[in-house]
Amino acid sequence: MIFRYTVERIFQSLLVLLVLSFLVYGLIGLMPGDPIDLMIQSDPNLTAGDAQRLKAIHGLDQPLFERYAAWLGNAVQGDFGYSRNHRQPAIDVIGDRIVNTSVLLGLSLILSLAIAIPVGIYAALRPYSKTDYAVNLACFAGISIPPFWLALLLIILFAIVLGWLPAGGMMTIGDGGIIDRLHHLILPVVTLTIASVGDFTRFMRASMLQTLRQDFIRTAQAKGLSMTQVVVGHALRNAMLPLVTIIALSFGRLFSGGLITETMFAWQGMGKMIYDAILGNDYNLALIGLMFATALTLIGNFLADIGYVWLDPRVSLTDRERSQ
Amino acid sequence: MLRRFLQHKMAVLSLVTLMLLALVSTGAPLIEGLFGLDAQAENLFHRSQPPSLAHPLGTDEIGRDLLARLLHGGRVSLAVALAAALASAVIGTIVGLFAGYYGGRFDAFLMRFTDGVISLPLLPLLIVLAAIDLSKLGLPDSFTQSENVSLYRIILIISIVGWTTVARLVRAETLTLKQREFVRAAVAQGATNGRIMRVHILPNAVSPIIVATTLSVGNIILFESVLSFLGLGIQPPVASWGNMLTNAQELIWSAPQLAVWPGLLIFVTVIAFNFLGDGLQDALDPRAID
Amino acid sequence: MLRIVTNGSRAMALLLVLLFATPTVAKDTLVIGISQFPRNFNPNIESMLVKSYILAMARRPFIVYDADWKLKCLLCVELPDLKNGTAKIEKTKDGKKGVAITYTIQPEATWGDGVPVTTKDVLFTWKIGRDKRTGFSNIEPFERVTSIDVHDDKKFTVHVSKFTCDYRTRYSIGVLPTHIEEKNFADPTQYRIKSAYETDTTNPGLWYGPYRITEVASGSHIVLEPNPTWWGKKPTFKRIIVKAIEKTSALTANLLSGDIDYIAGEAGLTVDDALAFEGRAKKNFDTVYKSGLIYEHIDLNLDNPILKDRRVRRALLHAIDREAISKQLFQGHQPVANGQTNPLDTVYDPDTPSYAHDPKKARQLLDEAGWSVLKDGIRHNAKGERLQLELMTTAGNKSRELIQQVLQSQWRRSGVDIRIRNQPARVFFGETVSRRKFEHMAMYAWISAPQGVPRTTLHSTMIPSAANGWSGQNYPGFAHPAMDKALDDAETNCDPAENRAIWKDLQRVYAEELPALPLYFRANPFITPKWLKGIVPTGHQFPTTLRIEDWHAAK
Repeated sequence: MIFRYTVERIFQSLLVLLVLSFLVYGLIGLMPGDPIDLMIQSDPNLTAGDAQRLKAIHGLDQPLFERYAAWLGNAVQGDFGYSRNHRQPAIDVIGDRIVNTSVLLGLSLILSLAIAIPVGIYAALRPYSKTDYAVNLACFAGISIPPFWLALLLIILFAIVLGWLPAGGMMTIGDGGIIDRLHHLILPVVTLTIASVGDFTRFMRASMLQTLRQDFIRTAQAKGLSMTQVVVGHALRNAMLPLVTIIALSFGRLFSGGLITETMFAWQGMGKMIYDAILGNDYNLALIGLMFATALTLIGNFLADIGYVWLDPRVSLTDRERSQ
Repeated sequence: MLRRFLQHKMAVLSLVTLMLLALVSTGAPLIEGLFGLDAQAENLFHRSQPPSLAHPLGTDEIGRDLLARLLHGGRVSLAVALAAALASAVIGTIVGLFAGYYGGRFDAFLMRFTDGVISLPLLPLLIVLAAIDLSKLGLPDSFTQSENVSLYRIILIISIVGWTTVARLVRAETLTLKQREFVRAAVAQGATNGRIMRVHILPNAVSPIIVATTLSVGNIILFESVLSFLGLGIQPPVASWGNMLTNAQELIWSAPQLAVWPGLLIFVTVIAFNFLGDGLQDALDPRAID
Repeated sequence: MLRIVTNGSRAMALLLVLLFATPTVAKDTLVIGISQFPRNFNPNIESMLVKSYILAMARRPFIVYDADWKLKCLLCVELPDLKNGTAKIEKTKDGKKGVAITYTIQPEATWGDGVPVTTKDVLFTWKIGRDKRTGFSNIEPFERVTSIDVHDDKKFTVHVSKFTCDYRTRYSIGVLPTHIEEKNFADPTQYRIKSAYETDTTNPGLWYGPYRITEVASGSHIVLEPNPTWWGKKPTFKRIIVKAIEKTSALTANLLSGDIDYIAGEAGLTVDDALAFEGRAKKNFDTVYKSGLIYEHIDLNLDNPILKDRRVRRALLHAIDREAISKQLFQGHQPVANGQTNPLDTVYDPDTPSYAHDPKKARQLLDEAGWSVLKDGIRHNAKGERLQLELMTTAGNKSRELIQQVLQSQWRRSGVDIRIRNQPARVFFGETVSRRKFEHMAMYAWISAPQGVPRTTLHSTMIPSAANGWSGQNYPGFAHPAMDKALDDAETNCDPAENRAIWKDLQRVYAEELPALPLYFRANPFITPKWLKGIVPTGHQFPTTLRIEDWHAAK
């Protein structure tokens, strides 16, 4: 059953990726001014003949469909093309970038959970109290704040006014030691965390509340256990399990949020790579970057669905489908 | 229902705030006239000035009054967000309704399609869509070169990707409602599919649609402001809170107030919409847990 | 317990100090900030300002203009000259006037791995440059050289098929190391991907200048260190780090925090940003504004019925106060332009007719042109049409947007209604300007070379159209026989007196006909820390890094 489901999902995912690749290839092809047109502006010696010749060399004068077909043919064999702006095969560029993004997203995830779990539990234990309202307000604030504005404010405060932290980049050149890298990580991680901690906290609170309502909790309380023991011993595990699915689902969203943070702090990650590639007319790189991000989201969704079923045996896979 | 809503203090506060904002933004020309401000009058002698009597919030990098620009920007940002939210809701409702009602292969296909759209990385895709050159699509020049084309474009591309939540919701509601007595009765009486969907199912699905749409406006405002900030959304000189921050970036030392106000307004608006949606959810849809 | 606490807090304090202490770098390292990372490193493929800036530290062209706008030999020994026989006019096979130019490579010029720079490299570069499949950006110099005579390892003569007055700089190609690049050229279509400049940028054999590239972190920074094979003055800095920072605010933030020492004048901030920065950081930095060959102007679509009338064009120029703009926006650092020729250029004619701010004259001209009916402050003609023009430029460029606003209000005072419409640079240049889709006015900048003849922008054969595949840069659509003649003559008639007269004509026609409204010459701000000496801004596109060996830290 699970096997068949997995195969189905894989098939669907590949289909999505295929359609996406065609769509994005077409869209990027509709972007104006390939870099060659722009070069004419900055190079007084470039003639129009040069421009035409260069376009032909880069294959920019062929119809879109042919270019896509060529790309697809190569992609299936594992050749995803050459990145114009990085002067390497597109695949090679991704390697480093993934690590950088993972570090950022990983740390912010850990930090978010480290805050969300205790705070969410705390709020759930005092529902509708003043503390609860305050927590709720803070959560809403976190998810409502525009991430690029937040980044800007943090840079103004910590890099310019106070001068404590660097304004961007991943490390100081010539240094690169752990302290230096931590220095550079603080602001981007804080930005990402503020944006995501709100949702996690609210979810934790809701999940905890739901768990506390259940029968076995009342049983435990009837047995005379203190609240702390009830929470830690019984409720916690049950309340945290659904969190796993939320984390899986948030893979994709973290990508979007990561893009802005990476760009604002000049963090050489996947998000920034995709952004630069799109606006720099680096077709191959943009394409593979987007497909990668989509693939991650698809995997995340898949894991979340499987996780949901595994955690709650009452729900079957087909139920899951229907309820969506 | 109304009582439940009124119990939600933040939601009420949000509603009031939003209505105030909407009022003030729509009345921007009036306010300009009243206070003698002009969002477009540049004055090179008064660039990036701090607040004064003549300019309650100071001036921007070209000498335009900041308050007036914020109001105009609010107009644009709010209008675009509401239009996009509405458009998404309409598309989503149609998709969800048809999928839930007709069921079977059609439903399966639509849901696969929806899943596909959901799994796309939103921001990068929006960036791609916002960056394409419209004239390459074959649209007439009078349209692509018009002043407001960036507004239409933003509304369009956000609607293209934003309908999925509503679609799923409406489909779920439709599936449930389909089984209800009054719908079966209508079918037995020979009502057409269209009529059933319109008259029986749709009105009962309205609550979750309203909640979802309200909650989506906040997100849409964030997307629009990010795109405008990146220079891909609303193009200057049309003001939007997002693109006011683009130039303010460069002046964060000499005139930090230019970076504070637009962002603050975005923040307040988004959080207000989120609270409002939360309150509506409590009031209209108490089945949903918290 | 107490010990744990004190040890703990001590550790905490240490951690905090470490976390928040800013690392300092010794003064034999120079960190330069630039606004963009180069897209590639091959000197002949894809021209890019930041790339020439960086490459100038590691390799030198044959002939450049120095800071005094005089020609100078860097890779060659002496400047070819018609007078002493190192350049000779000759007849080509088809009877046209060509020229044979003799160059001698610097005897000590050596690639970083010890292999000397020889005529073999010149031949190799020429051979692959002519090959259309290679992908060199500017192929004309290669095609015009019909043959090369090799005299010995260092001396060679190129035979050029068309004689032009700029023969000395035009064929100053960027040599490539044969011993490294030859094998990468096995498949010409793959050269630009396989070139060692891209795959092995830190290979010492690619560089022969004072520095060589020793580290490349794609998208982030480039490190250069002194090249032991360099024959000239020894450079002072032991390490140069070039950091690419895209956001202006981040550039200035890094400068203030000390993470970078200097922002490259040619590839860093705009005058606007620099003025804002100056206001706050005067005591540690000196700022020099060097105006140069970047010509900000407004192209006028001469096919448009309103702008066809010369009087309207002249009126538009009289109606605006460019001096005031320059003073107010740029504190006078960007001088007003009277035409596309820069006053620093030797061919500049100061007697060219110019257009002072004269609203009365503007109004008179507009009245004469038939725009005499005033309604709501806007002029209309007898047919009731409104004098409304659309002004376009690149979106997101603060300086240009500022200027647009000012121009709009100034023109309004003379009864002209201006609508502003901006597009992102990629759309603006990629479609609107290059295909002449702008209805009335397009504001942007041209970069030119000293004494560069503006053929592609002003000659009547250079008007882009669907028929000629959109080639040419004469976007206004200017076609004037006197201008065509002046352009043709300026390229070929090198007699100083006659050449001067031709240029005088050229500038006069430009000023009288106004295919574009001249605005100003953009300046580059050079913000240097007080301890950094030796940077001499040039004002043209040959970057200051061509004299990087002169830069040093003051004691």
